[in-house]
Amino acid sequence: MARFEDVDPTPTPTLREPGQRVSPRARLMWQISNLVEGVVSVAILGAAAAVWDAVDLTWWMATIGLLAVAVYVGVVPQWRYLVHRWEVTETAVYTQTGWWARERRIAPMSRIQTVDYAESPVARLFGLATVTVTTASAAGALQIAGLDRLRARELVDELTLRADAVEGDAT
Amino acid sequence: MSEPAPQIDDLTEWQRLDPRMLLVHPVKEITRFLVPLVAVFVAGQASGGGAPWELLGVLFPVALGLMRYLTTSFRIAGGRVELRRGLLDRHVLSTPLDRVRTVDLTASPIHRLLGLTTLRIGTGTIATGEDDELDLDGLPTERARALRADLLHAAPATEVDPDADLTPQPPVLTLDLAWLRYAPLTSSGAVVTAGLLGAAGQVFGATGGIEVDSRTWDLGMPGWTVVALGVVAIVVLVSAVSVLGYLVTNWEFSLTRGPGAWHLRRGLFTTRETSLDESRVAGVTVAEPLGLRLAGGGRLSAIVTGLGAGQAGSSVLVPPAPREVLVRVAGVVLGTDSPAHAPLTGHGPAARRRRWTRAVGTAGVLGAALAVAVLLAGGGWWAVLGLGLPLLAVPVAADRARSLGHALSDGYVVARSGSLARRRDHLDVDDVIGWNLRATWFQRRVGLTSLVATTAGGRQSVTILDVPEPQAVALADATLPHVVRQFLA
Repeated sequence: MARFEDVDPTPTPTLREPGQRVSPRARLMWQISNLVEGVVSVAILGAAAAVWDAVDLTWWMATIGLLAVAVYVGVVPQWRYLVHRWEVTETAVYTQTGWWARERRIAPMSRIQTVDYAESPVARLFGLATVTVTTASAAGALQIAGLDRLRARELVDELTLRADAVEGDAT
Repeated sequence: MSEPAPQIDDLTEWQRLDPRMLLVHPVKEITRFLVPLVAVFVAGQASGGGAPWELLGVLFPVALGLMRYLTTSFRIAGGRVELRRGLLDRHVLSTPLDRVRTVDLTASPIHRLLGLTTLRIGTGTIATGEDDELDLDGLPTERARALRADLLHAAPATEVDPDADLTPQPPVLTLDLAWLRYAPLTSSGAVVTAGLLGAAGQVFGATGGIEVDSRTWDLGMPGWTVVALGVVAIVVLVSAVSVLGYLVTNWEFSLTRGPGAWHLRRGLFTTRETSLDESRVAGVTVAEPLGLRLAGGGRLSAIVTGLGAGQAGSSVLVPPAPREVLVRVAGVVLGTDSPAHAPLTGHGPAARRRRWTRAVGTAGVLGAALAVAVLLAGGGWWAVLGLGLPLLAVPVAADRARSLGHALSDGYVVARSGSLARRRDHLDVDDVIGWNLRATWFQRRVGLTSLVATTAGGRQSVTILDVPEPQAVALADATLPHVVRQFLA
């Protein structure tokens, strides 16, 4: 944790990235699920075009479709892996998610209401889990996807203990 | 109350609602069953049998009303309000007294005739259906008022100063009939008129309508005059409906400060009294839709912790009224004049440019697509219409760019944005639950970010659009220093 005294009092403060990365296996999970998603979408589009005969399927349409899937599988998960970060300190939770649109969320420990742990069927295959921290605001949930299952369990215990230590109804 | 049914294992007794509801329920049920009743009546007339069927049609709603009265009871025991209802499907709703956020007293005309009112308790849960609402329908008005006072004082968040002056204070605001001039500028009148016209159209359609043959149809004046007259007629109709709607909703509107709570009262036929727990008022929003703004008016509502956007009707502090009134009331409710007056910091050239590219650019693409479509369809010169679209977007873009701004004033985060529906939010720093900083690749490229303060009331968040990142971080740091500072680079 950076102390205030260490911070150079520059007139242009910037937020640093959260300290921790998610599990590298998350990248593989996102690649595989994006591949499935992409192939299915292109197949449905192609089938629909063939059935209704609305447009003539040309080579360039097929190329664009394949290129889009290639970017969706080859670039997006890597990008997302580089962006997804999280950090939990004594007083706050800080997450960074997204790829094209990057979202940083900061919530004080004193405002945490629930800590959710979820394993989707796909995540379970990779031994991963998602931890969601909610506050009293519907716009304020912090989600950390692609955590190693054991690490996620530890995190939930840690967060629950710390949030419990604070008085009040967190609104 | 009549027939209290004492519980052996609990000293606080379950009690029924006011017996006069026996008169209210059947009337309500009959209006609810009006369509089937008319059908039964018509069928009875047609079959010639008559009386027994019609009698059944009236008896059924009366029986339902009686059943509802007999099966509904409530009590306040062990620090909880409990409401029990239902004959076959028993429901017991129960909520701790300290979760009471708002208390609403609503009285429909028939309730008022009998001296009754409906007491609704707002607890801030996202109610999923009608069955989940804590309504005590109905109580004698005096009793409901006393109960409201008890409920609001029981909530521990309200610390009432025992020495406080309990005599009724003069209202902070009462309705001025001059404000009626703002009514036609709101969108609600147009919506209601459209609904009425639609319904009228349905009736005409069902009854065969008026046959118009355009070849022989002659009003004795040129077509343009007819169109102009039609437009004038619609404008007059919309204005009249808006003014009536404004009067019916906001008749005798008043905002008063009671001990620990704000009391709002309004309504011509159905009166409505809302009490907002003072400590739950997290801020206020000045809404200035374009029409109202051009006439120098706006609307003021409260951001109430625990009340979602769905219950927005409970939090209107000032109906459409002049700007000076909004600003004055905002000052009184927030307890400080400066946030509503605070000059706003602009968001710089990059943010303004983004407003321009987004408004004019989008309209340009749409306009071009429209022009191409018209040309392809052989529309010829009509394609020029597509080019008019970006021109329309120019004033909107300029206005959106000018509206952008934020400030941190006397413990309140102030944010303003929008053009057609401009709003200025004032949110107490203590009610900021967290900060979200959202930036797309385009925004990051020009060093902007959208800063979102999350909160537990109203729309759940206040967005400060396209702030230069250093300003955004500085603002977040100033409001939650112990939290944000550790993450600064």
